[in-house]
Amino acid sequence: MGARPVQEIVAFCQEIFEDLHFAKAREWKAARPGRKVIGYMPVYVPREIVHAAGMLPLGILGGGADMEVIHGDAYYQSYICRIPRSTIELAITGKLDFVDGMMFPSICDVIRNLSGIWKLLFKDKYVRYFDAPQNFRDEVGGVFYANELRELREGLERLGGRTITDGEIRRSIAVYNENRRWVNRVYDFRAASPWKAPSAEVYLLMRAGMVLPPEEHTLLMREYLAAAEAVDRPMRDNCRVLLTGAFCEQPPLNLIKSLEISGCYIVDDDFMLVHRWLLEEVPVDGDPIWNLSRAFLRHSAQTAAKYEPDMAEKGSYLIDSIRRRGADGVIFAAPSFCDPALLDQPMMIRRLEALKIPYITLKYAENSGQMQPIREQSGTFADSIKLWSAS
Amino acid sequence: MTTTIGIDVGSGVIKTALFRVEGERSEWVARWDARIRQRDPYRLVDESVESVLRSAGLKRDRIDYIATTGEGESVQGATGHFYTMTTHARGALYLDPEARAVLDIGALNGRAIRIDERGKVLSYRMTSQCASGSGQFLENISRYLGISQDEIGTLSQQSKHPEKVSSICAVLAETDVINMVSRSIPPSDILRGIHESMAERLIKLLKSIDVRQGVVMMTGGLALDTGLVQAIQDGMDLQKMGTRVASHPDSLYAGAIGAALWGAFRHRKLQALGRLPSAS
Repeated sequence: MGARPVQEIVAFCQEIFEDLHFAKAREWKAARPGRKVIGYMPVYVPREIVHAAGMLPLGILGGGADMEVIHGDAYYQSYICRIPRSTIELAITGKLDFVDGMMFPSICDVIRNLSGIWKLLFKDKYVRYFDAPQNFRDEVGGVFYANELRELREGLERLGGRTITDGEIRRSIAVYNENRRWVNRVYDFRAASPWKAPSAEVYLLMRAGMVLPPEEHTLLMREYLAAAEAVDRPMRDNCRVLLTGAFCEQPPLNLIKSLEISGCYIVDDDFMLVHRWLLEEVPVDGDPIWNLSRAFLRHSAQTAAKYEPDMAEKGSYLIDSIRRRGADGVIFAAPSFCDPALLDQPMMIRRLEALKIPYITLKYAENSGQMQPIREQSGTFADSIKLWSAS
Repeated sequence: MTTTIGIDVGSGVIKTALFRVEGERSEWVARWDARIRQRDPYRLVDESVESVLRSAGLKRDRIDYIATTGEGESVQGATGHFYTMTTHARGALYLDPEARAVLDIGALNGRAIRIDERGKVLSYRMTSQCASGSGQFLENISRYLGISQDEIGTLSQQSKHPEKVSSICAVLAETDVINMVSRSIPPSDILRGIHESMAERLIKLLKSIDVRQGVVMMTGGLALDTGLVQAIQDGMDLQKMGTRVASHPDSLYAGAIGAALWGAFRHRKLQALGRLPSAS
């Protein structure tokens, strides 16, 4: 790719982000006969197995801010979030016609129901509701999850018409380990110098990883980091915030920009958690299925998307992240009607209040258009931190 | 000593103030304001900064903090941005240390802000989206009546029989005014009627944030409208609120003053923390 300037890299990512026909994924599929694309929804699926099958994992994060939802509204009540409607709209309008299968992780009932709707609407497609363990003991949740992974492997073998070997899964684990290393480097870089890596840019860079093959995404992140480090951008007197709750339905890009413009540097977030779900490298030797299962049980992010059996531990991951990133406060940004995010919020707030960590809460939908109230809310939050806290 | 510039990008006017601050003492060194009138606001901001620097005999690198407020979030070269409520609160306190509430009425909307003796915002409420409590509305009315904006306050205070207008909707209120003109109602009575309806809405805002005593400082473009100030005071007295409304010849600058003073505060704080932004 050569040494492109930051603006060019970001423009490339933005093009991928805005393209609801997924041209890059279509190109990948068309490049070799027999290639298959497997869509997946938030929050986490083991992309390593899809990759090992020689297929492209394609992150489907709804229709975004600009897509008009007409058909999708017929499938869900008005008190349900927007991502399932716009995802159905994508499919019914033919934008996902090249996708050979869809995976629906067990994030909430809505997404689970979406997997059922998908089976009814697209009978010729591979559809997998991907369940995650709620028990984290090796002999219970570990066995259950390893079986889920094996079933996924067998399903993809049938779809692809070939065996997926342990060696192929190990190689894919290594590819995603490398990808995750660079994702973490980008996040570390932004936390250290948020004025050099604006959150909207980092967001677009991570969104590109939903569509591009992981190897290509890793190269893109390396290129971005080198370019962003080289650019001289002025540091502003902004406060540092951690944004949480936006792990499923994504906020409009303008919301992310608005938060930063209003005086908040986002130094950590949970957008597209699939990139950072596993906190440590997955071993590349031994039984790869068992390794993936153990990584999920032992080394995955403790967010609203994962059951925490120990109430005393609830929120500890958030508090650790605040400290590690040097955040001055927290923005709870949850999609309207998002059960996992909104049910988690009071428990998190209780921990923050005990530690006197400032926070605000706001709600959005992927097509929220009015940013002025959000800017005013986050702007006054930034002012209160800058003027009335120790920061 | 800390030298700062505060830039208030309003929807109608840009105001810029240069301050020198030493401890508790602050000196307002230079000022600049201009109506935007369909010009590029960012070019006007640059012009304003050059102008105050020239007046103060300073170069840009001698400025410790450039703070924006209002709609100035995207101004290039600014060190930081503060929100309108935050800066008007501080600016009001500078103009009158007794102020414990602010009524900021600009071209497009109005805000009531309750503050403490440090200028900390305790509570606030904005007018709804309807424009009938804003400067733009009064500007339109003065155009219908064929009078200049400077005359509004004086004329309103000469009213003998105020003519009530709709206090809900700018469109209805404008229709009311057109009807009044055709019924030969004197401009002074029309203007006083408008001021009373605006005052009624603003007093409701103040009450909704529990402002019931002390000095209420008027800021923003309408702070100099003596007719409106009088109508608000009369309304407060009628409702036995125990509040005194105050205005200041420099009320228009409250946002810019507040931005400059908070900028100085931030500069000192960041210096103490060893976290000065490179832009400053």
